[in-house]
Amino acid sequence: MSNQYDVVIIGSGVVGSSIAFHLSESRQKEILVIDKDYPLSGTSGSTQAWVWVHNKTPSWYGELSMLSAELYPFLERKIGDVEYKRTGGIAPFFSESDRDSARRLAEKQAEVGIEIDVLNRDQVLEKEPALSPNIAGATFSKIDGNVNPFRLVELYIKAAKKNHVQFSFYNPVIAIKRNKGMFKVITKNDVFMAKQVIMAAGPWTKEVGKLLGVDIPVKQVRGQILVTEPLAPLIKHTIGGMRQADNGEVLIGYSKEEVGYDRRTTLDVIQDTAKMAVEYLPDLAKANIVRCFAGVRVIPNDGLPILGPVPTIDNAYIAVMHSGITLSPIVGTVMTELLMHGETSIDLKKLRLDRFNESNSYV
Amino acid sequence: MDDSTIVCKCEEINLAEIETAIKSGAHTFDDIKRLTRCGMGPCQAKVCSNLVRQIISESLDKPLSDIRPPRMRMPLKPTRISALVGDEESSSVISVFSESAPKEGDEDHV
Repeated sequence: MSNQYDVVIIGSGVVGSSIAFHLSESRQKEILVIDKDYPLSGTSGSTQAWVWVHNKTPSWYGELSMLSAELYPFLERKIGDVEYKRTGGIAPFFSESDRDSARRLAEKQAEVGIEIDVLNRDQVLEKEPALSPNIAGATFSKIDGNVNPFRLVELYIKAAKKNHVQFSFYNPVIAIKRNKGMFKVITKNDVFMAKQVIMAAGPWTKEVGKLLGVDIPVKQVRGQILVTEPLAPLIKHTIGGMRQADNGEVLIGYSKEEVGYDRRTTLDVIQDTAKMAVEYLPDLAKANIVRCFAGVRVIPNDGLPILGPVPTIDNAYIAVMHSGITLSPIVGTVMTELLMHGETSIDLKKLRLDRFNESNSYV
Repeated sequence: MDDSTIVCKCEEINLAEIETAIKSGAHTFDDIKRLTRCGMGPCQAKVCSNLVRQIISESLDKPLSDIRPPRMRMPLKPTRISALVGDEESSSVISVFSESAPKEGDEDHV
Protein backbone atom coordinates (compact mmCIF):
# COMPACT_ATOMS: atom_id res chain seq x y z
CA MET A 1 0.00 0.00 0.00
CA SER A 2 1.62 3.24 -1.13
CA ASN A 3 -0.69 5.38 1.06
CA GLN A 4 -1.43 7.51 -2.01
CA TYR A 5 -5.03 7.45 -3.31
CA ASP A 6 -7.27 9.15 -5.80
CA VAL A 7 -10.19 9.00 -3.37
CA VAL A 8 -10.36 8.53 0.39
CA ILE A 9 -13.82 7.82 1.80
CA ILE A 10 -14.28 8.43 5.52
CA GLY A 11 -16.87 6.03 6.87
CA SER A 12 -17.56 2.43 5.88
CA GLY A 13 -21.24 2.27 6.69
CA VAL A 14 -23.92 1.68 4.11
CA VAL A 15 -23.30 5.08 2.45
CA GLY A 16 -19.48 5.02 2.33
CA SER A 17 -19.37 1.37 1.28
CA SER A 18 -21.93 1.91 -1.46
CA ILE A 19 -19.98 4.87 -2.84
CA ALA A 20 -16.76 2.81 -2.71
CA PHE A 21 -18.37 -0.07 -4.58
CA HIS A 22 -20.04 2.03 -7.28
CA LEU A 23 -16.94 4.17 -7.76
CA SER A 24 -14.77 1.06 -8.12
CA GLU A 25 -16.85 -0.47 -10.88
CA SER A 26 -14.87 1.26 -13.64
CA ARG A 27 -11.58 0.43 -11.85
CA GLN A 28 -10.17 3.80 -12.80
CA LYS A 29 -9.54 5.16 -9.32
CA GLU A 30 -7.38 4.08 -6.42
CA ILE A 31 -9.82 4.11 -3.51
CA LEU A 32 -9.39 3.79 0.25
CA VAL A 33 -12.18 3.55 2.82
CA ILE A 34 -11.34 4.41 6.43
CA ASP A 35 -13.54 3.53 9.40
CA LYS A 36 -13.03 4.46 13.05
CA ASP A 37 -14.39 1.04 14.03
CA TYR A 38 -15.65 -1.82 11.96
CA PRO A 39 -18.47 -1.78 9.39
CA LEU A 40 -21.92 -2.18 11.01
CA SER A 41 -20.68 -1.09 14.42
CA GLY A 42 -22.57 2.20 14.03
CA THR A 43 -25.86 3.25 12.49
CA SER A 44 -25.91 0.82 9.55
CA GLY A 45 -25.83 -2.13 11.95
CA SER A 46 -28.54 -0.87 14.30
CA THR A 47 -31.56 -0.40 12.07
CA GLN A 48 -34.75 -2.14 10.97
CA ALA A 49 -33.47 -1.51 7.42
CA TRP A 50 -36.71 -0.60 5.72
CA VAL A 51 -36.37 0.42 2.11
CA TRP A 52 -39.12 2.94 2.66
CA VAL A 53 -40.53 5.33 0.11
CA HIS A 54 -44.18 6.09 0.14
CA ASN A 55 -44.58 8.73 2.80
CA LYS A 56 -41.26 10.47 2.39
CA THR A 57 -42.05 14.14 1.83
CA PRO A 58 -41.63 16.58 0.11
CA SER A 59 -42.55 14.53 -2.91
CA TRP A 60 -39.23 15.10 -4.71
CA TYR A 61 -37.58 13.41 -1.73
CA GLY A 62 -40.09 10.57 -2.08
CA GLU A 63 -39.15 10.38 -5.75
CA LEU A 64 -35.43 10.12 -4.92
CA SER A 65 -36.24 7.30 -2.47
CA MET A 66 -38.34 5.55 -5.12
CA LEU A 67 -35.53 5.74 -7.69
CA SER A 68 -33.19 4.20 -5.15
CA ALA A 69 -35.62 1.40 -4.26
CA GLU A 70 -35.95 0.67 -7.98
CA LEU A 71 -32.19 0.09 -8.16
CA TYR A 72 -32.13 -2.67 -5.53
CA PRO A 73 -32.91 -5.61 -7.85
CA PHE A 74 -30.08 -4.51 -10.18
CA LEU A 75 -27.75 -4.03 -7.24
CA GLU A 76 -28.42 -7.60 -6.11
CA ARG A 77 -27.39 -8.89 -9.50
CA LYS A 78 -24.07 -7.13 -9.06
CA ILE A 79 -23.16 -7.72 -5.41
CA GLY A 80 -25.27 -10.77 -4.48
CA ASP A 81 -28.26 -11.63 -2.30
CA VAL A 82 -28.86 -8.92 0.29
CA GLU A 83 -32.31 -10.32 1.13
CA TYR A 84 -34.03 -7.35 -0.47
CA LYS A 85 -37.76 -7.90 -0.42
CA ARG A 86 -40.27 -5.51 -1.96
CA THR A 87 -42.95 -6.47 0.53
CA GLY A 88 -45.13 -3.43 0.06
CA GLY A 89 -45.45 -0.95 2.90
CA ILE A 90 -48.38 -0.23 5.20
CA ALA A 91 -48.56 2.88 7.40
CA PRO A 92 -51.61 2.46 9.65
CA PHE A 93 -53.67 5.26 11.16
CA PHE A 94 -56.12 4.90 13.98
CA SER A 95 -58.44 7.85 13.50
CA GLU A 96 -60.93 8.42 10.70
CA SER A 97 -59.87 12.07 10.72
CA ASP A 98 -56.48 11.01 9.33
CA ARG A 99 -58.03 9.80 6.09
CA ASP A 100 -57.99 13.28 4.55
CA SER A 101 -54.29 13.75 5.08
CA ALA A 102 -53.73 10.21 3.75
CA ARG A 103 -55.56 11.22 0.56
CA ARG A 104 -53.55 14.43 0.29
CA LEU A 105 -50.34 12.40 0.63
CA ALA A 106 -51.51 10.02 -2.10
CA GLU A 107 -52.30 12.93 -4.44
CA LYS A 108 -48.97 14.64 -3.83
CA GLN A 109 -46.93 11.48 -4.30
CA ALA A 110 -48.86 10.51 -7.45
CA GLU A 111 -47.42 13.62 -9.11
CA VAL A 112 -43.96 12.02 -8.99
CA GLY A 113 -45.16 8.50 -9.81
CA ILE A 114 -45.40 6.99 -6.32
CA GLU A 115 -48.58 4.93 -6.24
CA ILE A 116 -50.34 4.98 -2.87
CA ASP A 117 -53.63 3.33 -1.99
CA VAL A 118 -55.59 4.72 0.93
CA LEU A 119 -57.08 1.63 2.53
CA ASN A 120 -60.07 1.25 4.82
CA ARG A 121 -60.09 -1.11 7.78
CA ASP A 122 -61.32 -4.14 5.84
CA GLN A 123 -58.77 -3.65 3.10
CA VAL A 124 -55.97 -3.38 5.67
CA LEU A 125 -57.11 -6.55 7.43
CA GLU A 126 -57.37 -8.36 4.13
CA LYS A 127 -53.70 -7.62 3.49
CA GLU A 128 -52.57 -8.24 7.06
CA PRO A 129 -55.11 -10.27 9.07
CA ALA A 130 -52.99 -10.01 12.22
CA LEU A 131 -53.29 -6.23 12.41
CA SER A 132 -55.64 -4.82 15.01
CA PRO A 133 -59.28 -4.20 14.04
CA ASN A 134 -58.94 -0.89 15.88
CA ILE A 135 -57.02 0.44 12.90
CA ALA A 136 -59.08 2.92 10.91
CA GLY A 137 -57.08 2.59 7.74
CA ALA A 138 -53.64 2.86 6.24
CA THR A 139 -51.63 4.18 3.37
CA PHE A 140 -50.18 1.40 1.26
CA SER A 141 -47.64 1.25 -1.52
CA LYS A 142 -46.10 -1.65 -3.38
CA ILE A 143 -42.75 0.12 -3.65
CA ASP A 144 -41.72 -0.25 0.02
CA GLY A 145 -39.75 -3.15 1.39
CA ASN A 146 -36.77 -4.09 3.48
CA VAL A 147 -33.29 -5.52 3.26
CA ASN A 148 -30.81 -7.33 5.50
CA PRO A 149 -28.47 -4.49 6.52
CA PHE A 150 -25.68 -6.85 7.60
CA ARG A 151 -25.63 -8.63 4.25
CA LEU A 152 -25.96 -5.34 2.39
CA VAL A 153 -22.92 -3.65 3.89
CA GLU A 154 -20.87 -6.86 3.90
CA LEU A 155 -21.56 -7.45 0.20
CA TYR A 156 -20.90 -3.81 -0.78
CA ILE A 157 -17.49 -4.20 0.84
CA LYS A 158 -16.79 -7.64 -0.67
CA ALA A 159 -17.64 -6.38 -4.14
CA ALA A 160 -15.53 -3.25 -3.62
CA LYS A 161 -12.58 -5.34 -2.46
CA LYS A 162 -12.91 -7.46 -5.58
CA ASN A 163 -12.49 -4.21 -7.52
CA HIS A 164 -9.29 -3.47 -5.53
CA VAL A 165 -10.70 -0.95 -3.08
CA GLN A 166 -8.58 -0.83 0.09
CA PHE A 167 -10.10 -0.68 3.57
CA SER A 168 -8.62 0.45 6.86
CA PHE A 169 -10.68 -0.46 9.95
CA TYR A 170 -10.40 0.46 13.64
CA ASN A 171 -8.55 3.52 12.47
CA PRO A 172 -10.09 6.87 13.40
CA VAL A 173 -9.21 9.96 11.39
CA ILE A 174 -7.48 12.46 13.64
CA ALA A 175 -6.69 15.34 11.31
CA ILE A 176 -7.03 16.38 7.67
CA LYS A 177 -4.58 18.87 6.17
CA ARG A 178 -4.26 20.43 2.73
CA ASN A 179 -0.85 19.80 1.19
CA LYS A 180 0.10 20.86 -2.37
CA GLY A 181 -3.42 20.37 -3.70
CA MET A 182 -3.74 17.02 -1.94
CA PHE A 183 -5.46 16.03 1.30
CA LYS A 184 -3.24 14.62 4.00
CA VAL A 185 -5.47 12.34 6.07
CA ILE A 186 -3.86 11.60 9.42
CA THR A 187 -5.30 8.57 11.19
CA LYS A 188 -4.49 6.73 14.40
CA ASN A 189 -2.36 4.17 12.56
CA ASP A 190 -1.30 5.83 9.32
CA VAL A 191 -1.05 8.87 7.08
CA PHE A 192 -2.79 8.80 3.71
CA MET A 193 -2.64 11.20 0.79
CA ALA A 194 -5.73 11.74 -1.36
CA LYS A 195 -6.73 13.83 -4.36
CA GLN A 196 -10.38 13.72 -3.32
CA VAL A 197 -12.04 13.16 0.06
CA ILE A 198 -15.62 12.06 0.72
CA MET A 199 -17.18 12.49 4.15
CA ALA A 200 -19.64 9.65 4.76
CA ALA A 201 -19.30 9.34 8.50
CA GLY A 202 -23.01 9.22 9.41
CA PRO A 203 -23.57 10.51 12.96
CA TRP A 204 -19.87 11.48 13.20
CA THR A 205 -19.90 13.63 10.05
CA LYS A 206 -20.11 16.82 12.10
CA GLU A 207 -16.79 15.97 13.78
CA VAL A 208 -15.17 14.98 10.49
CA GLY A 209 -16.41 18.25 8.99
CA LYS A 210 -14.68 20.16 11.79
CA LEU A 211 -11.36 18.59 10.74
CA LEU A 212 -11.86 20.35 7.40
CA GLY A 213 -13.20 23.50 9.00
CA VAL A 214 -16.71 22.95 7.64
CA ASP A 215 -19.90 23.09 9.68
CA ILE A 216 -22.17 20.19 8.81
CA PRO A 217 -25.70 20.93 10.08
CA VAL A 218 -26.80 17.50 11.31
CA LYS A 219 -28.34 16.10 14.47
CA GLN A 220 -27.90 12.76 16.25
CA VAL A 221 -31.25 11.09 16.88
CA ARG A 222 -31.61 7.85 18.83
CA GLY A 223 -34.07 5.11 17.93
CA GLN A 224 -34.86 2.06 20.07
CA ILE A 225 -35.91 -1.31 18.69
CA LEU A 226 -37.35 -4.49 20.25
CA VAL A 227 -36.51 -7.89 18.76
CA THR A 228 -38.78 -10.90 19.28
CA GLU A 229 -37.85 -14.55 19.28
CA PRO A 230 -38.36 -16.17 15.85
CA LEU A 231 -42.12 -16.44 15.24
CA ALA A 232 -44.22 -18.25 12.67
CA PRO A 233 -45.07 -16.01 9.71
CA LEU A 234 -47.18 -13.20 11.19
CA ILE A 235 -46.84 -10.23 8.84
CA LYS A 236 -45.94 -10.15 5.16
CA HIS A 237 -45.57 -6.41 4.61
CA THR A 238 -43.19 -3.84 5.98
CA ILE A 239 -45.40 -1.96 8.41
CA GLY A 240 -44.58 1.59 9.51
CA GLY A 241 -43.13 0.60 12.89
CA MET A 242 -42.25 -3.06 12.39
CA ARG A 243 -41.23 -5.85 10.08
CA GLN A 244 -40.66 -9.59 10.24
CA ALA A 245 -37.26 -10.86 9.13
CA ASP A 246 -36.58 -14.03 7.11
CA ASN A 247 -35.70 -15.97 10.25
CA GLY A 248 -39.05 -15.12 11.86
CA GLU A 249 -37.98 -12.48 14.36
CA VAL A 250 -40.08 -9.33 14.41
CA LEU A 251 -38.30 -5.98 14.74
CA ILE A 252 -40.47 -3.35 16.42
CA GLY A 253 -40.03 0.32 17.11
CA TYR A 254 -40.09 3.84 15.83
CA SER A 255 -38.80 6.45 18.26
CA LYS A 256 -36.77 9.61 18.05
CA GLU A 257 -34.75 11.15 20.88
CA GLU A 258 -32.02 13.76 20.72
CA VAL A 259 -29.66 12.54 23.43
CA GLY A 260 -26.30 12.72 21.66
CA TYR A 261 -24.37 9.58 20.82
CA ASP A 262 -25.90 7.47 23.57
CA ARG A 263 -26.90 3.97 22.51
CA ARG A 264 -28.45 2.84 25.76
CA THR A 265 -32.02 1.57 25.75
CA THR A 266 -34.42 3.01 28.30
CA LEU A 267 -37.40 1.48 30.07
CA ASP A 268 -39.89 4.22 29.15
CA VAL A 269 -39.29 3.81 25.42
CA ILE A 270 -39.21 0.01 25.68
CA GLN A 271 -42.56 -0.01 27.50
CA ASP A 272 -44.15 2.43 25.09
CA THR A 273 -42.82 0.48 22.11
CA ALA A 274 -44.23 -2.75 23.57
CA LYS A 275 -47.56 -0.98 23.87
CA MET A 276 -47.38 0.12 20.25
CA ALA A 277 -46.55 -3.46 19.24
CA VAL A 278 -49.71 -4.80 20.87
CA GLU A 279 -51.86 -1.95 19.57
CA TYR A 280 -50.78 -2.80 16.04
CA LEU A 281 -50.60 -6.58 16.35
CA PRO A 282 -52.52 -7.93 19.37
CA ASP A 283 -51.02 -11.42 18.93
CA LEU A 284 -47.60 -10.03 19.76
CA ALA A 285 -48.62 -9.81 23.45
CA LYS A 286 -47.72 -13.49 23.75
CA ALA A 287 -44.36 -13.19 21.97
CA ASN A 288 -41.06 -13.05 23.79
CA ILE A 289 -38.61 -10.19 23.40
CA VAL A 290 -35.02 -11.44 23.35
CA ARG A 291 -33.25 -8.13 22.95
CA CYS A 292 -33.67 -4.39 22.75
CA PHE A 293 -31.16 -2.25 20.94
CA ALA A 294 -30.63 1.36 20.09
CA GLY A 295 -29.02 3.09 17.15
CA VAL A 296 -28.20 6.73 16.58
CA ARG A 297 -29.34 8.13 13.26
CA VAL A 298 -27.88 11.16 11.63
CA ILE A 299 -30.56 13.62 10.53
CA PRO A 300 -29.66 16.81 8.66
CA ASN A 301 -31.29 19.86 10.25
CA ASP A 302 -33.89 20.15 7.49
CA GLY A 303 -34.44 16.37 7.33
CA LEU A 304 -33.14 16.00 3.78
CA PRO A 305 -29.93 14.37 2.49
CA ILE A 306 -26.75 16.41 2.13
CA LEU A 307 -25.03 15.22 -1.02
CA GLY A 308 -22.44 16.64 -3.38
CA PRO A 309 -19.35 18.83 -3.33
CA VAL A 310 -18.34 20.86 -0.29
CA PRO A 311 -18.65 24.33 -1.85
CA THR A 312 -15.80 25.93 0.07
CA ILE A 313 -13.17 23.21 -0.44
CA ASP A 314 -12.10 21.92 -3.85
CA ASN A 315 -12.21 18.13 -4.19
CA ALA A 316 -14.01 17.58 -0.88
CA TYR A 317 -17.42 15.89 -0.99
CA ILE A 318 -20.12 14.97 1.47
CA ALA A 319 -22.78 12.26 1.62
CA VAL A 320 -24.76 12.28 4.84
CA MET A 321 -28.42 11.43 5.31
CA HIS A 322 -31.09 9.76 7.36
CA SER A 323 -32.38 6.68 5.46
CA GLY A 324 -28.96 5.61 4.18
CA ILE A 325 -30.28 2.08 3.70
CA THR A 326 -33.07 3.23 1.38
CA LEU A 327 -30.86 5.71 -0.46
CA SER A 328 -27.51 3.89 -0.68
CA PRO A 329 -27.95 2.53 -4.25
CA ILE A 330 -28.81 5.94 -5.73
CA VAL A 331 -26.26 7.78 -3.60
CA GLY A 332 -23.46 5.44 -4.73
CA THR A 333 -24.56 5.86 -8.35
CA VAL A 334 -24.85 9.65 -8.26
CA MET A 335 -21.62 10.21 -6.31
CA THR A 336 -19.80 8.05 -8.87
CA GLU A 337 -21.17 10.19 -11.70
CA LEU A 338 -20.08 13.31 -9.84
CA LEU A 339 -16.52 12.12 -9.18
CA MET A 340 -15.98 10.50 -12.59
CA HIS A 341 -17.66 13.06 -14.84
CA GLY A 342 -18.31 16.14 -12.73
CA GLU A 343 -22.03 16.06 -13.48
CA THR A 344 -24.96 13.92 -12.39
CA SER A 345 -28.08 12.43 -13.98
CA ILE A 346 -30.12 13.81 -11.08
CA ASP A 347 -30.02 17.50 -10.20
CA LEU A 348 -28.29 17.78 -6.83
CA LYS A 349 -29.12 21.44 -6.31
CA LYS A 350 -31.63 20.82 -3.53
CA LEU A 351 -29.24 18.42 -1.80
CA ARG A 352 -26.14 20.57 -1.72
CA LEU A 353 -24.55 21.63 1.55
CA ASP A 354 -24.73 25.33 0.67
CA ARG A 355 -28.55 25.29 0.75
CA PHE A 356 -28.19 25.93 4.49
CA ASN A 357 -26.43 29.25 3.81
CA GLU A 358 -29.36 30.71 1.92
CA SER A 359 -30.92 31.29 5.29
CA ASN A 360 -34.38 32.56 4.44
CA SER A 361 -34.92 31.13 1.00
CA TYR A 362 -35.06 27.63 2.46
CA VAL A 363 -37.57 27.20 5.24
CA MET B 1 -12.41 -28.51 17.95
CA ASP B 2 -12.44 -28.59 14.17
CA ASP B 3 -13.91 -26.28 11.53
CA SER B 4 -17.40 -27.71 11.84
CA THR B 5 -17.58 -27.49 15.63
CA ILE B 6 -20.65 -25.45 16.59
CA VAL B 7 -19.70 -22.39 18.65
CA CYS B 8 -23.10 -20.66 18.81
CA LYS B 9 -25.80 -23.25 19.45
CA CYS B 10 -28.74 -20.88 19.02
CA GLU B 11 -27.81 -19.79 15.51
CA GLU B 12 -25.72 -22.88 14.62
CA ILE B 13 -22.55 -20.97 13.79
CA ASN B 14 -19.42 -23.05 13.49
CA LEU B 15 -15.76 -22.35 14.15
CA ALA B 16 -14.89 -21.86 10.47
CA GLU B 17 -17.50 -19.07 10.18
CA ILE B 18 -16.05 -17.27 13.19
CA GLU B 19 -12.53 -17.56 11.82
CA THR B 20 -13.61 -16.30 8.40
CA ALA B 21 -15.11 -13.21 10.05
CA ILE B 22 -11.89 -12.60 11.96
CA LYS B 23 -9.90 -12.96 8.73
CA SER B 24 -12.08 -10.36 7.04
CA GLY B 25 -11.02 -7.94 9.76
CA ALA B 26 -13.61 -8.21 12.55
CA HIS B 27 -11.76 -8.11 15.85
CA THR B 28 -14.48 -7.83 18.49
CA PHE B 29 -17.33 -10.12 19.50
CA ASP B 30 -19.95 -7.61 18.41
CA ASP B 31 -18.33 -7.07 15.00
CA ILE B 32 -18.16 -10.85 14.43
CA LYS B 33 -21.76 -11.15 15.59
CA ARG B 34 -23.10 -8.78 12.92
CA LEU B 35 -21.34 -10.73 10.16
CA THR B 36 -22.26 -14.23 11.34
CA ARG B 37 -25.31 -13.91 13.67
CA CYS B 38 -23.22 -15.64 16.34
CA GLY B 39 -24.75 -14.67 19.69
CA MET B 40 -27.94 -13.23 18.21
CA GLY B 41 -30.25 -16.09 19.21
CA PRO B 42 -32.46 -16.70 22.25
CA CYS B 43 -29.56 -17.04 24.74
CA GLN B 44 -28.03 -13.73 23.57
CA ALA B 45 -24.42 -14.95 23.71
CA LYS B 46 -24.61 -16.36 27.23
CA VAL B 47 -23.26 -19.69 25.96
CA CYS B 48 -20.84 -18.63 23.24
CA SER B 49 -19.45 -15.42 24.71
CA ASN B 50 -16.27 -16.85 26.21
CA LEU B 51 -15.76 -19.39 23.44
CA VAL B 52 -15.70 -16.63 20.86
CA ARG B 53 -13.46 -14.46 23.02
CA GLN B 54 -11.00 -17.35 23.23
CA ILE B 55 -11.02 -17.79 19.46
CA ILE B 56 -10.40 -14.06 18.97
CA SER B 57 -7.62 -14.11 21.55
CA GLU B 58 -5.86 -17.02 19.84
CA SER B 59 -6.37 -15.71 16.29
CA LEU B 60 -5.06 -12.23 17.08
CA ASP B 61 -2.48 -13.41 19.58
CA LYS B 62 -3.81 -11.07 22.27
CA PRO B 63 -4.43 -11.87 25.95
CA LEU B 64 -8.00 -12.95 26.70
CA SER B 65 -8.34 -10.09 29.16
CA ASP B 66 -8.01 -7.62 26.24
CA ILE B 67 -11.00 -9.11 24.37
CA ARG B 68 -14.19 -7.26 25.26
CA PRO B 69 -17.30 -9.32 26.04
CA PRO B 70 -20.38 -8.72 23.85
CA ARG B 71 -22.74 -5.91 24.72
CA MET B 72 -25.55 -7.23 26.89
CA ARG B 73 -28.97 -5.66 26.48
CA MET B 74 -32.30 -5.64 28.21
CA PRO B 75 -34.33 -7.72 28.89
CA LEU B 76 -31.44 -10.18 29.62
CA LYS B 77 -33.73 -13.16 29.31
CA PRO B 78 -36.70 -13.67 26.98
CA THR B 79 -39.63 -11.64 28.30
CA ARG B 80 -43.23 -11.52 27.12
CA ILE B 81 -44.29 -8.36 25.39
CA SER B 82 -47.43 -8.29 27.55
CA ALA B 83 -45.13 -8.03 30.58
CA LEU B 84 -43.23 -5.14 29.02
CA VAL B 85 -46.30 -3.08 28.19
CA GLY B 86 -46.26 -0.45 30.88
CA ASP B 87 -48.06 2.65 31.96
CA GLU B 88 -45.12 4.84 31.11
CA GLU B 89 -45.67 7.03 28.10
CA SER B 90 -42.84 8.30 26.02
CA SER B 91 -43.47 11.09 23.59
CA SER B 92 -40.48 9.88 21.59
CA VAL B 93 -42.37 6.83 20.28
CA ILE B 94 -44.18 8.07 17.18
CA SER B 95 -46.25 6.71 14.33
CA VAL B 96 -44.73 6.67 10.87
CA PHE B 97 -48.01 7.85 9.39
CA SER B 98 -48.46 10.88 11.60
CA GLU B 99 -44.88 11.94 11.09
CA SER B 100 -44.80 12.03 7.34
CA ALA B 101 -48.31 12.90 6.33
CA PRO B 102 -48.30 16.36 4.76
CA LYS B 103 -50.11 19.01 6.73
CA GLU B 104 -52.53 21.54 5.41
CA GLY B 105 -50.66 24.24 3.55
CA ASP B 106 -47.43 22.27 3.15
CA GLU B 107 -45.72 23.10 -0.10
CA ASP B 108 -42.84 21.36 -1.78
CA HIS B 109 -39.51 23.10 -1.84
CA VAL B 110 -38.96 23.97 -5.44
